[in-house]
Amino acid sequence: MKHALTAGFSAFVLGAALSVAGAASADDAGANNVRDRSIAYAVSGGHWGLYQTADGKAECPDGINEVGPRETFKALFPDDGTKRSVVETQLAREAAIWSPEERAYNFPYHHAGGKVGLGLNLDGKVGPNDFTSPDGEKGIDNQLFRALGCLRWLRGPDGIGYHFSDIYMREFNYNRGLIELTNVDSLADDPDVDVTIYRGRDALMADATGAKIMPGGTQRIDTKFGQKFITHLKGKIVNGVLTTEPVKEMYWPFAWFGGNPGAQHILDMRMRLKLTQERANGFIAGYENIEEWYYGLARGRSTHHLAYGSVSAPGIYKAIHELADAYPDASGKNTAISMAWGTDLTQVFLKKPPKEVAEAAPAASKTERAGDRR
Amino acid sequence: MKVLLSRSVVCAVGLAAGFGLAGCSDASSGRAAVKTSSVTAVAQYAGTPARVRRMTQSQYTNTIAYVFGSDLSIGEPFAPLPRTDGLLASGASSAGMTAGEFQQLQRSASAIATQVVDKGNLGDRTSPRRDFLVPCKPAAIDAPDDACAAKFIRQTGRLLFRHTLPDALVTELTGNAHKGAAELKDFYAGLATVIEGMLLDPGVLLITDSTEPDPAHAGKRRLTANALASRLSFFLWDAAPDDELLKAAESGALYTKKGRAAAVDRMIASPRLEAGVRAFFDDMFGFEEFAVTAKDPKTYPMITGQTLLDSREQTLRTVVDHLITRKGDYRDLFLTRNTFISPTLAPVYGVPSSTGWSAYEFPQDAHRAGILSQISFLALHSHPARSSATKRGKALRETLLCQKVPPPPPNVDFSAVENPDPTLRTARERLTRHSVNPVCAGCHKITDPIGLALETFDGAGRYRDTEKGVKLDTSGSLDGKTFNSSEGLGSALHDHPQLASCLVKRMYSFGTGGPLSNADTPAVEALSAAFAQAGYRVPDLLRMIAVSDAFSEVVETPAAVKTADAGQQTVAK
Repeated sequence: MKHALTAGFSAFVLGAALSVAGAASADDAGANNVRDRSIAYAVSGGHWGLYQTADGKAECPDGINEVGPRETFKALFPDDGTKRSVVETQLAREAAIWSPEERAYNFPYHHAGGKVGLGLNLDGKVGPNDFTSPDGEKGIDNQLFRALGCLRWLRGPDGIGYHFSDIYMREFNYNRGLIELTNVDSLADDPDVDVTIYRGRDALMADATGAKIMPGGTQRIDTKFGQKFITHLKGKIVNGVLTTEPVKEMYWPFAWFGGNPGAQHILDMRMRLKLTQERANGFIAGYENIEEWYYGLARGRSTHHLAYGSVSAPGIYKAIHELADAYPDASGKNTAISMAWGTDLTQVFLKKPPKEVAEAAPAASKTERAGDRR
Repeated sequence: MKVLLSRSVVCAVGLAAGFGLAGCSDASSGRAAVKTSSVTAVAQYAGTPARVRRMTQSQYTNTIAYVFGSDLSIGEPFAPLPRTDGLLASGASSAGMTAGEFQQLQRSASAIATQVVDKGNLGDRTSPRRDFLVPCKPAAIDAPDDACAAKFIRQTGRLLFRHTLPDALVTELTGNAHKGAAELKDFYAGLATVIEGMLLDPGVLLITDSTEPDPAHAGKRRLTANALASRLSFFLWDAAPDDELLKAAESGALYTKKGRAAAVDRMIASPRLEAGVRAFFDDMFGFEEFAVTAKDPKTYPMITGQTLLDSREQTLRTVVDHLITRKGDYRDLFLTRNTFISPTLAPVYGVPSSTGWSAYEFPQDAHRAGILSQISFLALHSHPARSSATKRGKALRETLLCQKVPPPPPNVDFSAVENPDPTLRTARERLTRHSVNPVCAGCHKITDPIGLALETFDGAGRYRDTEKGVKLDTSGSLDGKTFNSSEGLGSALHDHPQLASCLVKRMYSFGTGGPLSNADTPAVEALSAAFAQAGYRVPDLLRMIAVSDAFSEVVETPAAVKTADAGQQTVAK
């Protein structure tokens, strides 16, 4: 099930976002997928955690951003008979994407606003820039939502970035993030479970409707090239919702345009996921280094694609610098921005390598708890 | 004729002393002769009628693959056969061929011929098949070469027609190749016209039981050696004979007991036996129905088209592994927890899988024992959106026990089942209500007590304990034997006296090419006894049938045409 970050819905409450399909069929068949006190899920969809109302007025009071590469180019280089070289026009604009200057971008770029936002309270505080979740939780930290929330590109269900996000998560095997819960006594309530993140190696299977990923598939764990993704966390399950403690950092497989392999490098990362026997969904949240995040965006998208969503990469660059809210550098300038990634997962069985193979792989797990580096 | 079975079978059933046949060793197969002293099956029977059978799709596919290679694309030009006496194969002797079907065959033959003489193209990744399928190079590629054409025609025609071609026919076909090559200015194009013609020849498409007088039994007839070779090969390999079998036929070896036993043992030891066993069980289990089976994707989203294909393959793999590779007891096929799993089946069974097919043994507590608990049986004999105890019970009786369940009366009211009272939550509740109608009860009482034991599997074959929240009652009985679970049903079926004899009937029909008649009863009874004595091992049963006199002897039927000259072959009509 897609979590409810899509336009056209009157309310996008976290509770709804965490609602999960998978009701028992009339035949009452359905396996208990907690085996040996373990259950695992594989990524089968995902979107940025951007709160969205049907008309956008609540979260985008200044309107939707309409200035992208085409509009910028037209304004900078009007068809007025001036002779210009490719170097000083197209290539200059490409360079502005790869090496943007924060102060040099003077086109309008609307931030999202309003009171409601999606994500988690990362710092345990309720600050003036924090959001309140749709179900009333205060202190939601998600400044990346302010930076991205008014881009048509990422607004569902028609934004190109939104549309392809699920497809990329499903079809690019590189994106096969896996979450395994062990020491599970109950999927409904368990005060102490272990959570491990891996990257899987296998494709997902669509069900007979073609619209959903079928639970019950099997994933092999990538212990070779996927070492950096292996992360251990502690968590608890309350009323079927898993909440983990934060971990210092985590890499989450992230291949976008063209399937170029990459990762979201999330600091102070923690998860909150609604769990069922067949599905899980919710948020992976933390902070992302703004330079890393931006170049992930620039690498993952061509100007051509950004143009279709009126996405100004230099505008985003400027916005995330303005909105960064954590990890200050020596000068006191924040280098990271709070974020939430909404993820949909489908139950899978894990096929782990033999113990000797796993032990031979270089250790890269990250168990250090997050410190207060904000 | 009083000889019941051939010498080898007589050995197997322990009748050697009675018939004075000494030295009944089984040296050719390396197996110990089966001790069957208790078997006293003595009856009179003569054989089977001579028939003309239309080649089946799989026989055609396997034959083309053997003669020209398995990489040829041939399509599926054959129309479905009518299921007769439990088998499609038995309908092959009463099937016609429409003009439309012949057109399909012509297209297929043309495509095959083109591929056989393909010169290959590296860019298209097609191989130069002409270089290895045509045993000679023409003197000139743009002109006839009668010697080379004749060599190909003799070699290939022998395999397609399943006998050495008469010189006159070779001359005629070579002349056709000559004419085609001359007109088309291409030796291989001329050859292709002959290949296409051969593939459409009734002598290729029809499996004819040619007969001849039986020198051992005055006044009786038997299959000709080549017809016997075809019958053996289509029975055991689901394909036309290979060169070695044709040689055995043409040398007369097939009509010596030793020679026939050796030929049969070679065929049973061959990897090609798997094709024959798969064809038989695919037919017996009615798996052609998978072509028209679909599940409601909303009710059973985990059942894709590939899932159903894989479920068919799973059961066939289980059958081959259990019966041929492990040489297991046929009855244990309904108890075994050993099977094979594919990635699309694993979610339905709720188990992990590996890439591709992998061997898998269900745990003791998995409620999966025997092929009755496999998706193929459970899903095939269900409705698109719900299970069916009745369909499953009927299929078990008809498919596995060779019993006949009468069709529902024409005026039956199905509303109680198809639009059931919503307060009736389980199949047992619905069927109990349904069966109070005496019109329905007669048949339902012979199907439902069986099928209800399988209600712990939904219409997709997924395990469940409950239906609409109600704990399922899986108790029932099969012809007097009671049980409380699907595993219990498997055990009851395992011990059912008709289970093995039904297999014998079907396999005998499959081998001899037609439905059974009362005249076949003694043979079937004797074979059933021998099968039991052999520990219900299917390779032994295949061998017993293949070497039996009945397999090669011909009985006269009113439809048979006798020639005036007893020395000439007779072709059954």
